[in-house]
Amino acid sequence: MKPQTHPTLPEFDYIKPESLAEASQFLALHPDEARPFLGGTDIFVRMRDGFLVPKFLVDVKHLDGTDAIRFDPLVGLTIGAAVNMNRVIASPEVQKYYPLLAEACRSVASYQLRTRATIAGNLCNASPAGDTIGACLVLDGKLQIHGTACPRLETLSEFFLGPGKTTLKPGDIVTAVSLPVPPGGSAGTYLKLGRNKLSDLSIVGVTVLGSPAPSLPSGFRFRIALSSVAPIPLIAAEAEAALAEQAITSGSIHAAACLASEASTPIDDVRGSARYRKQMVRNLTEMALNQVWQKLQRQDAGR
Amino acid sequence: MAHPITPKSSSPVGESKPRIDAREKVTGAALYADDIQFGNKLLYARIKRSPYPHALIKKIDVSRALALPGVKAVVTGQDFPGFIGLYLKDRHIFCRERVRYVGDPVAGVAAINPETAEKAVNLIDVEYEVLEPVFDPEFGASPQAPVLHPELGQYIVASFILPRPGSNISNHFKIRKGDVSSAWQKCSKVIERKYRIPHIQHVPIEPHVAIAKVEESGEATLWDSSQSPFAQRDLIAETLGIPQSKMRVIAPLVGGGFGGKAGVSMESLAVAIASKVRGYPVKLLLTREEEFFTAFVRQGLVATFKMGCDVDGKLLAMQNTFFWDGGAYTEYGVNITRAAGYSCTGPYEVPNVHTDSYCVYTNHPVGGPMRGFGMPEMHSGLEQCIDELAHEIGMDAVEFRRRNCLKGGSILPTGGRMHPTGLSECLEKAAEAIDWGRKAQPSAPNKRRGKGLALMWKAPAMPGNAGSSAWIELAEDGTLTLGVGCQDIGQGAFTVAAQMAAAAFGVPYESVRVATPVDTRYSPYEWQTVASRITWSTGNAIIAAAQDARRQVLNLVARAWGETTDDLDIVNGMVVSFKSEREIPVKDFAVAGLPKPDGNGWMGGPIIGRGNFIPADVTGLDPETGQGEHAVVHFTTGAQAIELEVDLDTGRIEILKGVAAFDVGKAINPELVKAQMEGGLIQGISSALFERLQLKDGVVQNASFVDYRIATSSDLPKSVQSIIVEVPQADGPWGARGIGEHSMVPTLPAIANAIYDAIGIRFEGPPFTAEKIYLAMLDAGIVK
Repeated sequence: MKPQTHPTLPEFDYIKPESLAEASQFLALHPDEARPFLGGTDIFVRMRDGFLVPKFLVDVKHLDGTDAIRFDPLVGLTIGAAVNMNRVIASPEVQKYYPLLAEACRSVASYQLRTRATIAGNLCNASPAGDTIGACLVLDGKLQIHGTACPRLETLSEFFLGPGKTTLKPGDIVTAVSLPVPPGGSAGTYLKLGRNKLSDLSIVGVTVLGSPAPSLPSGFRFRIALSSVAPIPLIAAEAEAALAEQAITSGSIHAAACLASEASTPIDDVRGSARYRKQMVRNLTEMALNQVWQKLQRQDAGR
Repeated sequence: MAHPITPKSSSPVGESKPRIDAREKVTGAALYADDIQFGNKLLYARIKRSPYPHALIKKIDVSRALALPGVKAVVTGQDFPGFIGLYLKDRHIFCRERVRYVGDPVAGVAAINPETAEKAVNLIDVEYEVLEPVFDPEFGASPQAPVLHPELGQYIVASFILPRPGSNISNHFKIRKGDVSSAWQKCSKVIERKYRIPHIQHVPIEPHVAIAKVEESGEATLWDSSQSPFAQRDLIAETLGIPQSKMRVIAPLVGGGFGGKAGVSMESLAVAIASKVRGYPVKLLLTREEEFFTAFVRQGLVATFKMGCDVDGKLLAMQNTFFWDGGAYTEYGVNITRAAGYSCTGPYEVPNVHTDSYCVYTNHPVGGPMRGFGMPEMHSGLEQCIDELAHEIGMDAVEFRRRNCLKGGSILPTGGRMHPTGLSECLEKAAEAIDWGRKAQPSAPNKRRGKGLALMWKAPAMPGNAGSSAWIELAEDGTLTLGVGCQDIGQGAFTVAAQMAAAAFGVPYESVRVATPVDTRYSPYEWQTVASRITWSTGNAIIAAAQDARRQVLNLVARAWGETTDDLDIVNGMVVSFKSEREIPVKDFAVAGLPKPDGNGWMGGPIIGRGNFIPADVTGLDPETGQGEHAVVHFTTGAQAIELEVDLDTGRIEILKGVAAFDVGKAINPELVKAQMEGGLIQGISSALFERLQLKDGVVQNASFVDYRIATSSDLPKSVQSIIVEVPQADGPWGARGIGEHSMVPTLPAIANAIYDAIGIRFEGPPFTAEKIYLAMLDAGIVK
């Protein structure tokens, strides 16, 4: 690609459909030319840089029911696709039941951008670096999708196919992200390593959620998601399995961190080298597991 | 009746007056160049740029662009044969035969809206013949390198710049002092080190912007974000064949300069395009990407230092070689090379010195002035070597510096003597503030803690005749209007200028108004707002203007009262007599004059004072030895100290404390001086930890804030201490000398020395990213 000394936003038509059906139909009719968008924090940058040249941008953030955030103690949390991250962070239910999600949102860019950015957009964008993806994965998130045929649910763990690639088909519109009620007594953390402290993209990100699980040999279930170290947001399944099997000690935590590092397949890019990333997956996973383990033990002691 | 306020206590100099521009900036009322409205005749310019680092232009076809409706003009290098440049005229406004960096301007378009201009640029067809590029300054200086400027011998050049035609060396500055070769054997320890300092960028929040309009008569006006309106008037006019008097530059407030808006760069493009669409204003606003690709960058540096000392730690010899990556055009960078040459020993007395400082053409972005003008780059290596040499002979690094640092009367590398300086005091105060010699416990088991310190010196690097001027006039309400040609680029120049005018004339600070924006048609001449020279140089011109106005006022009143001027003073806007105890407000006669004592007619008239200043005694240096009596006007000196922690899990550095102590001669406004010290420290930290223009085959890989990281407020130390030292400058206003740039000079080596103290590792160059630190610790076995 030629160096872009003067990138510019290409011309496009802005489409604002009145209904989900209309939006879906338009997108299905223009499979290669139309893209849905929410906050636009990523798509406009990528269009300006020449990576995307859609003829139509379809604004799907004003459609039926996508602006609501709802919590049901039995069903869990439903975040409308158009709900921006600052609203998620501010939600009392999110703060009470999903602090990990709020923590992940807070690590995204700056306050100003978070008034535009959405979790659904972050998921659909399918960047391996997406800061909120790990939290949604370890919280067993599902996507509510309005397709051309009928509404459907898609499991997030099977949603990502590659950088920027998902199972979404032309005409599909994500209307909400749903997260079940987290397991009782769970604790989590998101450790993000950027080049500087604030507002960077992650060199490596590690999300850990732990919860008591009496049915498992170790008595605890740990979920581990890794960002920026594989073509897709990565679940460290081997590390999770190891922690389910063995008693949780500093030794088993270290071993699990090594498994996570082995599972990662990072690349060299302007933000960091593969060598450094592999090391950081191990160190940050160990750090995150230790932090979560300490929280779990504190909770246990307090009970 | 004695006047209640003595002149001394009413003087606003030395007080931290609020910034004169604070309110308009905070409320958003302040006008920047892009805010100015030009109506519906405004045209938008876009630039066709080279995609190759080095190529010949075989053919340019603009016919498709010209045919596009809405396009008013398309220009190329064929339209503008002249050369432009500050010290070495080595660039055309638009390339003619050859392109020399990715982003080099090849053609320009003016159209009725940005979209049309953008389309037109894409319709310009350029055929290139790609040539072998040069990306390394050491290789570039060698005879094997392709020559990028075969015409170097024909370029017009300042007398103190020494190009080597037939090579890529656009300036070779030498110091030959004493006898280095025989000195090495007298040394008990000699070390030799090599460093690579990468390119960085100024990243002003306000990108470069220029709006130009050329009238039917040929008179040209340029509105731009500029540190150098007068230099732009001179250079652009000359290149385009416009008389300087018919070229007018209006420079509103600047949203960040740091040197990047000094001299001439993209502004000439706007004027050139506008000259082909007379009567239409033409606006060129750089994108952030263009800022990274095409605005001035801080030059890269490859530096080797060899230095030795005797058993007592006395420095005996230094041999330094600097290869500056000057980029495609070195019209300004050649003088950075010179400045680093005459400052090559750092602030130390060294009897034997052998230095070669080369400015080398490469196919990288154009190097230009940036805060520190070569000193941060040069000191980065030098101040690490000083630490290492002290370490090698088993001496404390502060003690080593104490023994060797310049005092008043010390012999300089250029041969003359150092003026009185508070460097030793800065060293002691910085060491004390960082609690030097005491190692504090790390805050956690996975942290290592370290302290580092570095000294610096820097002179204003400018031609010996860089001049300033000022005028003063008074209104009926007693307000003093001060005309200056310097620019406020955020450093507080207008505030300090107003304080000095108030003090020198005798009115309260609040009664001074600065005539802005700077407009070369009405404002008095100022060479450039660069080199940390404004408080000192413009200040002297302001004093002269105030004294001129005072003289007029006092003579008039003396005549009216039948007294002598010796008994009169101006205090708080009142002329007072210490003899007769009479008083009269200046405003009563500053415009209308006074009746003659006999009542028949008037005397006086509108008061207007004028003053100028030019350095009196800068001498040239011998081209072979770099020796001369008075190489520069003066040096500001100082010290910084850093305490930091290295995180063993990630390699991340946390700066815990930053201390700065600088000898500013006299702090005209102490809070603004401290703000400069803090700002420089922060920019120094940013350049040490995060910043690097990632260049690959001449292409900037990180031309955005996504991947060109700069320090944010959360990356800064919680504890910052700024210490003002005041050893007066003999020819400075109230003894003042500059501080704007100096505060970023020693930061990087102080951090590097602290990193060494923490983990025992040194690096070839910055930025000291978490990754670089961690992988080095891994390789050294510090972490597993």
